[in-house]
Amino acid sequence: MEFLASISPLFIALTVGGTFVGIIFGSIPGMTATMAVAVCLPLTYSLGLENGLGLLLGLYVGGISGGLVPAILLGIPGTPSSITTTFDGYPMAQRGEGEAALRIGIVSSLVGGLISLIALYFFAPALADFAIAFSYVEKFLIILFALTVMAALSSDMLMGIFSGFLGIFISLIGAYSIQKGGNGELRLVPPGTEYWLDSGFSLLPVLIGVFGLAAILEEAAIGMPKGQTRDDVKIEGARNFNFSVFKGQWINTLRSSSIGTFVGILPGVGGSAASILAYSNAKSFSSHPETFGKGEPAGIIASESGNNGLTGGALVPLLSLGIPGDATTALLIGAFTLQGVQVGPLFIGNNPATWDAMIFAMLLANIAMFIMMFYAIRWFALVVTIPKHILFPIILMMCVIGAYTINYGIMFDVWTLLIFGIFGWIATKIGIEIAPFIIGFILGPAAEIYFVKSIESFGDLTIFFTKSWIAIILWVLIAASLIGSAAMARKRQRMGAHEEDL
Amino acid sequence: MDSITQVSIEFSRSHLVFPTLIACILGLLGLSIVATRWRKIAQTGPYMTDIFAKMDKPRLFGTLALTLIYFMAMVPVGDIWPNTGRGFLICSIPYVFLTGLLFMHDRTLRNSLPLIVMALIAPTLVWYLFTELFFLTLP
Repeated sequence: MEFLASISPLFIALTVGGTFVGIIFGSIPGMTATMAVAVCLPLTYSLGLENGLGLLLGLYVGGISGGLVPAILLGIPGTPSSITTTFDGYPMAQRGEGEAALRIGIVSSLVGGLISLIALYFFAPALADFAIAFSYVEKFLIILFALTVMAALSSDMLMGIFSGFLGIFISLIGAYSIQKGGNGELRLVPPGTEYWLDSGFSLLPVLIGVFGLAAILEEAAIGMPKGQTRDDVKIEGARNFNFSVFKGQWINTLRSSSIGTFVGILPGVGGSAASILAYSNAKSFSSHPETFGKGEPAGIIASESGNNGLTGGALVPLLSLGIPGDATTALLIGAFTLQGVQVGPLFIGNNPATWDAMIFAMLLANIAMFIMMFYAIRWFALVVTIPKHILFPIILMMCVIGAYTINYGIMFDVWTLLIFGIFGWIATKIGIEIAPFIIGFILGPAAEIYFVKSIESFGDLTIFFTKSWIAIILWVLIAASLIGSAAMARKRQRMGAHEEDL
Repeated sequence: MDSITQVSIEFSRSHLVFPTLIACILGLLGLSIVATRWRKIAQTGPYMTDIFAKMDKPRLFGTLALTLIYFMAMVPVGDIWPNTGRGFLICSIPYVFLTGLLFMHDRTLRNSLPLIVMALIAPTLVWYLFTELFFLTLP
């Protein structure tokens, strides 16, 4: 109960306020939960770790949940994780069941969030206890496994792996850190840039660039689509929400939440994969799959419980292994770094109060999300009408503030933001996958230390295979993820060729 | 067998081991991408031309140009009043207003009024929050 000391009125206000702002970010197409966390990260400086995490976790839960509003009312996913919500939510809204569809999504989001929270509470400490015994060899293999899983689940495996390794390569720019056991020598630094690149590119300006600035550049490139007017948003209709819609849907809800949680635990795999997997499973197991895509409530239940199931799951690898479960939790590493706390197997044991406060913040954020959205959905529906030409310039300014203040006032960090904002925008055009790139960038320096120190200690490459039974299992998992992905790619190719023949 | 797998790393050159390895892997992956997708890569020219033709050039390049000017002006303006964060404040107000105007579709005075108000309030509020409450340095 030590954590009760950190549960202040400010903590509660920040978590609930974060959830509120997160819902607004999620509700506006083009703005995501990741962007919300990126923009608000600098605000956590002077808040302390628990209060800062309360705000960011609220933004995360609210941001993922808010995506259902435009998905249902406009047929445009507010966040990538609500793509499958549009399939059935929008047809329901078109036939005058918008409010019912929204409330089905909100209840499913709550259930998904709570189930994943239970999984987080029990699974993360167990995994951390197990991981404490890992040597550099197993830690290196875990990172390799994380990268292969991410690459395997990318739309193009080869490009996914390339993106991950590119992220690692960029992260190695600068000095080989003496604090971490390196020799302090510079590498990959172009002549004349030693002063700025001594410590390489800072993590947070890179993250804010690829998730904040790049998203706004993309919106500018597509002509900053006009916002919606009040006339476009009609949620009242003939059919009201009734909990009886969940009758016979509990298995679907539980299965989809579990799928979301499991996908969240896989490193670097985002909410869109969670909701797509949950949706396709719900459709396969349904006794009337032909109704999916035509306004079937079970489709919304699967999609929304799946993407909110991700929230707790994605925190499991972060808090037990130090590996982010998705892009948004990658940003949470930034919050820990700002407060000088390292996440990894020792985190929960060494910071029990922070761990309990995080669980409480997630619970509070889920409940606050439910109460706010369920009872004030008509008001939140109007959020989609906020003009982007007012919001986006302010977000751009917040990105600059975040980048500048991250290292207490270094202008090079602002230029880093611009460089990676442009890179993030171009990357999507040439097939580079941002999630593996970022996870590679975050884990690259640790992977280097673990790899080099393993060889320095054992002097033999076979140690990566012979160190322990865990190493062997990890190699089996790495091989399985690559083989499975190659098989899936071949199946997709064959199906494509078959369709072309037809 | 032992001689093939045994490796020793000289501490003074240890900073080059991992970057070299990753560069080699990237090179191999790059070659595999070229080998398996050369048809797609050959069509990059028309693909890029198509992207360029469809993009909203004034908004995209306007945003980039305004952002560049904003970043370049912040420090020199801030140096006039050192350690006050006024460089940020003075540059952010026109930046928020001009990018907002660039993003706006129907540029009428009526539509611009909320933007003008926000362009004045938001940077001032953020400047006050960071310099007066958080005591963080702004340019």
